[in-house]
Amino acid sequence: MMLIAGTVPIKDMPLTFGEITRDGDSIVINGRSIPCTQGTAAMISAALTASSYLKLDAPYALLVGDIGRGKGSRELYQYLIDNVAELAPQVLALHYWLPDMAQTRQLCAAVEECQRRPIMIADAASMYSAKAAGLAETFDVFTPDATEIAFLADPDATHPAYIAKHLFETDVRRSPELARAAYTNHSSAKLLLVKGTTDYIIGNGEVIAEVSEPNIPELEPIGGTGDTITGLVAALIYAGLEASEAAVIAAKANRTAGKYARVTPASKVKQVIAQFPAVFKDNLCDWSNTCYTKGGN
Amino acid sequence: MAFIKRQQKIKFEGGGLVLLDTVEDAIAAEKILKAESYIVRLVAPPPELRKGCDLAVEINIAERPGIERLLKEKGMPYFGIEPLKIGTAPLLEVVKVTDFGKWIMVRAGNMKVTYEKDSGVIVNVSGGGCPDIPYLYAELVDKRMEEAPSPKDIGFTLCALNLDRALDECLNIYKGGTPK
Repeated sequence: MMLIAGTVPIKDMPLTFGEITRDGDSIVINGRSIPCTQGTAAMISAALTASSYLKLDAPYALLVGDIGRGKGSRELYQYLIDNVAELAPQVLALHYWLPDMAQTRQLCAAVEECQRRPIMIADAASMYSAKAAGLAETFDVFTPDATEIAFLADPDATHPAYIAKHLFETDVRRSPELARAAYTNHSSAKLLLVKGTTDYIIGNGEVIAEVSEPNIPELEPIGGTGDTITGLVAALIYAGLEASEAAVIAAKANRTAGKYARVTPASKVKQVIAQFPAVFKDNLCDWSNTCYTKGGN
Repeated sequence: MAFIKRQQKIKFEGGGLVLLDTVEDAIAAEKILKAESYIVRLVAPPPELRKGCDLAVEINIAERPGIERLLKEKGMPYFGIEPLKIGTAPLLEVVKVTDFGKWIMVRAGNMKVTYEKDSGVIVNVSGGGCPDIPYLYAELVDKRMEEAPSPKDIGFTLCALNLDRALDECLNIYKGGTPK
């Protein structure tokens, strides 16, 4: 099972676990439709699209409504802490929630008790809390952007709002340096996909690969286009790719989808996600050197 | 399995302190915050952060903006809210501006706001990781900046505070101000 956990901006939505389906632009969990906008929904939608193309099981999700007060986030953490061993996901991708160091600590301890440890992926505030709690190294993949890699590199910051100014102002081309600092500070997952003008794939502090084409700067303003990368990474790892290869393909696919969609800074993330099947059909065999499916969707 | 109800089992590790003048204030502040379901606890502040009394309220530092707003609404005086980790940089106030021709994008910390130059309509919000950000996306996108709610007023987290800074700067530029 690939399990994606995070909050959605629906105030009263209870903690909900289920397999994901699609209804037009929305994702559906247990009959409840969730619009595919920025955040966990965009991540799930990208993972679902990739899974569907690769003819894998659909992702499962653990979702809860939370508009910032944290109650839903705490319920979500606690459910994972109590049930991750029984759920036994092969891939566990954590996303938006109120960062909580103590519960992250409990969750990581629960994961260590799993009979088979899941591949652990974190983005958004689940990455913040992992770093703040000193548990980054227990994760397999983080997907920070240029600001978030500065946050990981700052040994004292517990949230990106407190990054040292000189790190925030660092040229994005120096992301590998910041990644190395994060690795040295024990604030890095085993693999980083640093999203930016050039996407850097960094393993154990060293650059493994760079992706800079196609160059689509208009993707950066579009809310959710970082979330889609994380969703693609999760699905490709679930398909059996090495994390580094999954990261390279995810970065290329996101850029290419932006190109196919002819995005502007006013585009919406669903327009990018809609292009993934065509992107995979045209490129996945070449990028992965392995064709998982004939023609896909 | 469909909808699940779980009891909360919480140990607390908040990373931030509300610093207050007197022990009575600290106890009152804790009561106010607990009444609104914030997870907090009374602690002794480390000497480096001590101002006023020997008691502070530990909070989840990511919730700072919502907590500040609540304490102000309740008329509860406090010296400040500080990260517990000594050496933490002050709140980041720098912004970066990118001109996309028809659109301007402003980044403040981990948050980005993009608006259309001619209309002043917010066309995108990106970045962040806290649970109020997807909510604020829905509240802000496709609205004119002057009509959009302030993230500081309806958000709860440090991500919302960064978003507020980015939006402030967007408005400043839209109204003809010099980019900071």
